Amino acid sequence: MSVELSKQGQVLTATGLSAGYDGRPIVSGIDIQATPGKVVSIVGPNGSGKSTLLKSLVGVVRVLDGHVKIDDDDVTNLASEEVAKRGVGYVPQIDDVFPPLSVRENLEIGGYLLNRREVPSRIDAVLEFFPRLKGMMTRKAGKLSGGERKMLAMGRVLMLSPSVLVLDEPTANLAPLVATQLLEEYIRGFADHGSTVLLVEQRAKAALRISDWTYVLGGGRVVLAGAPKDLEQNPAFVESFLGGRPAAH
Amino acid sequence: MSSFGFGLITAAVLAIATVGFTMQFAVTNVLNLAYGSIMINSAFVAYYANVHGVTAWASLPFGVVTGAVASWALNRFVFTPFQRRNLAPITVVIVALGVDLIGTFGLQAIVGGSYVSYRQNTGHEYHILGMFLSGLQLIILAICAVVLVTIHWLLRYTRLGKAMRATSANPNLARNSGVKTQFIISTTWLISGALCGLAGVVFAMNNGVFEATSAQLYIVLLLAAMFLGGPGEPYGAMFGAMVIGLSTEVSAAYVNPQYKEVIAFVALLGMLTFRPYGIFGSEKTL
Ligand SMILES: Nc1ncnc2c1ncn2[C@@H]1O[C@H](COP(=O)(O)OP(=O)(O)OP(=O)(O)O)[C@@H](O)[C@H]1O
Ligand SMILES: [Mg+2]
Repeated sequence: MSVELSKQGQVLTATGLSAGYDGRPIVSGIDIQATPGKVVSIVGPNGSGKSTLLKSLVGVVRVLDGHVKIDDDDVTNLASEEVAKRGVGYVPQIDDVFPPLSVRENLEIGGYLLNRREVPSRIDAVLEFFPRLKGMMTRKAGKLSGGERKMLAMGRVLMLSPSVLVLDEPTANLAPLVATQLLEEYIRGFADHGSTVLLVEQRAKAALRISDWTYVLGGGRVVLAGAPKDLEQNPAFVESFLGGRPAAH
Repeated sequence: MSSFGFGLITAAVLAIATVGFTMQFAVTNVLNLAYGSIMINSAFVAYYANVHGVTAWASLPFGVVTGAVASWALNRFVFTPFQRRNLAPITVVIVALGVDLIGTFGLQAIVGGSYVSYRQNTGHEYHILGMFLSGLQLIILAICAVVLVTIHWLLRYTRLGKAMRATSANPNLARNSGVKTQFIISTTWLISGALCGLAGVVFAMNNGVFEATSAQLYIVLLLAAMFLGGPGEPYGAMFGAMVIGLSTEVSAAYVNPQYKEVIAFVALLGMLTFRPYGIFGSEKTL
């Protein structure tokens, strides 16, 4: 990576975390950790609480119990702009851009916390990373293709040079080739560069390929965790997530 | 041609009002049906400044400040507490309607029911492009132009304006980008409220005579103009105001002018039927 896009990572830790809507927990008893230089992924069936978990880490959903820490800094229930200030870049699963704003304006809002004079050079750095966006700076974000839109969504959080990237299904609705490129080039690239990456991914196989560690969520709890090569040996995991044959008796 | 001239001024006043109204709706998510009552209250504050020796134009800032402060306070002390309770959006609309009635008839209780007018002469009559326009009308046109250009500049080119548009489009993501959305929303109430106050004073000046209930049906024109241009579309609002302003005045040359609001309302219903997001709009796009 030629440009300094993301910073050296910090450790993101959740301990005994429970979170949900209107005081009712959707996820509970969650202990997870993401560390610098690593891609940590979370997989699990629809509705298992993956998005809710991520939202609670970044201050979008209320934490009901437990703690969230960035290194030693307790960020439990801080406003999401405070979490962003501490170097956590969060790309939501849906509503990940400002559709009526142009691509340039989306990036400018991404750099809202920066000194005004730094913004243009940061935009240049992000464009260097996602050159495809260069030709569409004045286009409205709502008019981008799915892949372009995801690049913009990631570009927005890269404006603040995050040290921790929290990504919720960045490859949803993308063509297989684009999805693979996004995961293996860009997302793996962040971690190789030293950043911390926490990734929710529907494509378990693809997620495992770039992950250093994977948590499996089921019914709002972590039901399984391990290194990808160990999970690939786990019959229950293979059956549910990798579309493999049931374990032999 | 003279009804066209009239229509142009009506449209200019409506454009100032609608731009504030649509901005308020897009950024704060409140359909502030009390807008008309704040307009007329602002007009009366300016009127009292005028009566106490301030020239009519110098009293305009009194109206602007009244509109800004009243709108901000309305949000802070009425709408926000209701919104916090997570009630259905319709509740806030009904609350706004109540505030409108209280604002209008409360004012009437204080100032009485008689017509008043600013101490101001309408200035020299000019003959332009086949229209006869008074000095007052020309100034209203100029104010409208300045407001539209300023709001365009604010929304397109300033940090605040972009943050307002981002907050309107996706408040969660805006917060996550470091935008203090509560502050942005409060600021929007101040700015759109200032436009509301400004619109109130020029509306009253343009009417010549006015009383406490003069702006009571103005909300119909505002809604029609806003929906015509697409809710949350400032440029659409300008366009919608032109169409509604001109059509209501020009049609008034043929049908009873009392039916002005009815004509606007018919236009609104037609619009909601065929293009619910307006000519330019797509749902809500500030
Ligand atoms: N805003 C909300 N209010 C109330 N309940 C919600 C809200 N958002 C999600 N839920 C519920 O929380 C549960 C978990 O949802 P969540 O979005 O976290 O699942 P997920 O694992 O991300 O699913 P998917 O793979 O489909 O994205 C679901 O039952 C969902 O209906
Ligand atoms: Mg999800």
